[in-house]
Amino acid sequence: MSMKNAAYKKFKDISREEHISPGTALCTGCGGLLALRLAYKVLGENVVIVNAAGCFTLLSVYPYSPFSSSWMYTAMACAPAGAQGIRDALDILIKKGKLKSEENLKVVVLTGDGAANDIGLQSTSAAIYRGLDFYYFCYDNEAYSNTGFQMSSATPYGSRTATSLPGEINPQGTVQRKKDLFEIWRAHKPPYLATVSPSHPVDLSNKFEKASKFEGPKLFIALSPCPPGWSFDASNSVNIARLAVQTGIWPLKEAVYGEVKHTVIPKFKPVEEYLRTQNRYDHLFNPVKQVDVIDNIKKDVEQYWERYLDS
Amino acid sequence: MKNSTNEMIKRVRFHGRGGQGMKTASRIVGTASFLEGFFVQDCPLYGAERRGAPMVAFTRLSKEPILERGLIVSPDINIIADETLLGDKNANVFQGIWEGTVTIVNTHYPASHVRNVHGIVGEIVTLDVTEIALNVIGESVLSSTAAAVVCKLTGVISESSLEKAVTRELSSINLKKETIQKNVQAALICFDRIPEAHPHYFEPIKEDKKDEIVKLEYADACLGSPSVYAKGSTKLKKTGNWRLFRPVIDHEKCSRCYTCFVYCPHSCISIDGDGYPQIDYDNCKGCLTCFYECPKKVISKDREVKAW
Ligand code: SF4
Ligand code: SF4
Ligand code: SF4
Repeated sequence: MSMKNAAYKKFKDISREEHISPGTALCTGCGGLLALRLAYKVLGENVVIVNAAGCFTLLSVYPYSPFSSSWMYTAMACAPAGAQGIRDALDILIKKGKLKSEENLKVVVLTGDGAANDIGLQSTSAAIYRGLDFYYFCYDNEAYSNTGFQMSSATPYGSRTATSLPGEINPQGTVQRKKDLFEIWRAHKPPYLATVSPSHPVDLSNKFEKASKFEGPKLFIALSPCPPGWSFDASNSVNIARLAVQTGIWPLKEAVYGEVKHTVIPKFKPVEEYLRTQNRYDHLFNPVKQVDVIDNIKKDVEQYWERYLDS
Repeated sequence: MKNSTNEMIKRVRFHGRGGQGMKTASRIVGTASFLEGFFVQDCPLYGAERRGAPMVAFTRLSKEPILERGLIVSPDINIIADETLLGDKNANVFQGIWEGTVTIVNTHYPASHVRNVHGIVGEIVTLDVTEIALNVIGESVLSSTAAAVVCKLTGVISESSLEKAVTRELSSINLKKETIQKNVQAALICFDRIPEAHPHYFEPIKEDKKDEIVKLEYADACLGSPSVYAKGSTKLKKTGNWRLFRPVIDHEKCSRCYTCFVYCPHSCISIDGDGYPQIDYDNCKGCLTCFYECPKKVISKDREVKAW
């Protein structure tokens, strides 16, 4: 994205309006909440959120709601189906003249990585396939953190979760690689697809602004540092998200109809700098350093970027 | 009290906020009691909410097998690890306390002040456990310190069982050796600071055993599925009492760069008419992202001790 004609250039361009009020039940310092708050500033208040079960369903706990707009709660698997229903209803109301077109709402699915990568994947695929006009916001905290931080298929290799504890058989903790959800979605060639990070609010805002120009599925994966799950101090979410970008672990990119472009080329700080900030990786350094595991993580990052920097 | 240990049962209720370590504290007390030869039971109870929200945990210890289950309504020892919960009606920290209850509050106020303000029945003990944890462990995790306070108040748990239980429980959650050592040290300091167990002995009261099944009436769908019509109403919940440290902006040195405003995850910083950031202390949860991210380093953090 060239900075010259970008809508957002600096922090002062970011809207002062808040669409998620304080006082929610989410954890102190939740990185995913910051990403959503920033995204909402671009989306505005003409929004209806369709929220799959997860941490963020606790944003609105009866009788309170933090939102400036509407919100609906669905089961984990079916938020995109709920979004289809709402979209259809809005379209019908507009067609019948019962809703003015300026009162139209943006339909936004909100899910965690567990729902997005696992049980909700098929309904997302189907919605992209049907060309549903909606936004999809996945806050990726890399596990099922609402229920005690169990492993999801977005959990990265070498990290510790409640269900992939490092032990004698698997000293590295999680054995599997993180699912590449971006590529799975990209195979559907949706109009707009991007990764974002709360540490890069200008990049995030520009992506939401750009997405608004497209009709059809607009999908986002937001890196969401999670203080209790990743085990770090609540003041550190932004810093950790920034390190994830700077080390190349979290590539910031977009894909328009499947064409990929990286929006930030990292400085490639050593990945260890990122890993050391979180206790979920502590077993890689203590009591003995697991050099082979750290090297595998490094190699994955290097191979990823070689592929893109060459092309 | 000594003669009655054979038939005694002690019920301990822990009140804290998610992330403070009360679940672990209840386990440490359970393990320490077990090491002393008691039958024990411990369990936490969380609401749907996340780290920082009120939670409770329970430990029962007895010389006899324990047949009671579930919540402890009338505790013998009631520990309130976060003084801000005293003023929070939803946390219900005084539920079921009676003249035989020892209530211990983590605060820097003396016990007389707590009694005057809240009119608590039974005995009250206060100790600034957070201060001890911050000084010795370096962070405000209260699992071992709160457990130590309770162990002492039971009057039946020795220092050495406490020490073993802290080590065992903290090792099982993969903490580093040096962290565990610091926890043991802090626990022993608390054990020492708490006066001997209360001198009066009361027959423990029986927990209410009404086995009533509550029948729910049929409700129409529009009543049974709640809707919220207000916008942005969570701010009425005032999460400011989640805060352990208060971020304070030095406006004279602030460069009005907006960094703190942009990065506050909880929408608690707004920009005033002159372009300066202002913190909503009613709701700021004290994550200190603003403190950490301010490029000019003009935000300081003050320990929050007077939340009520
Ligand atoms: S568990 Fe993690 S993702 Fe969930 S609310 Fe807490 S910080 Fe956010
Ligand atoms: S401490 Fe956290 S919640 Fe409070 S104002 Fe700073 S960033 Fe916002
Ligand atoms: S980050 Fe610091 S310098 Fe910038 S506006 Fe906030 S207080 Fe002022």
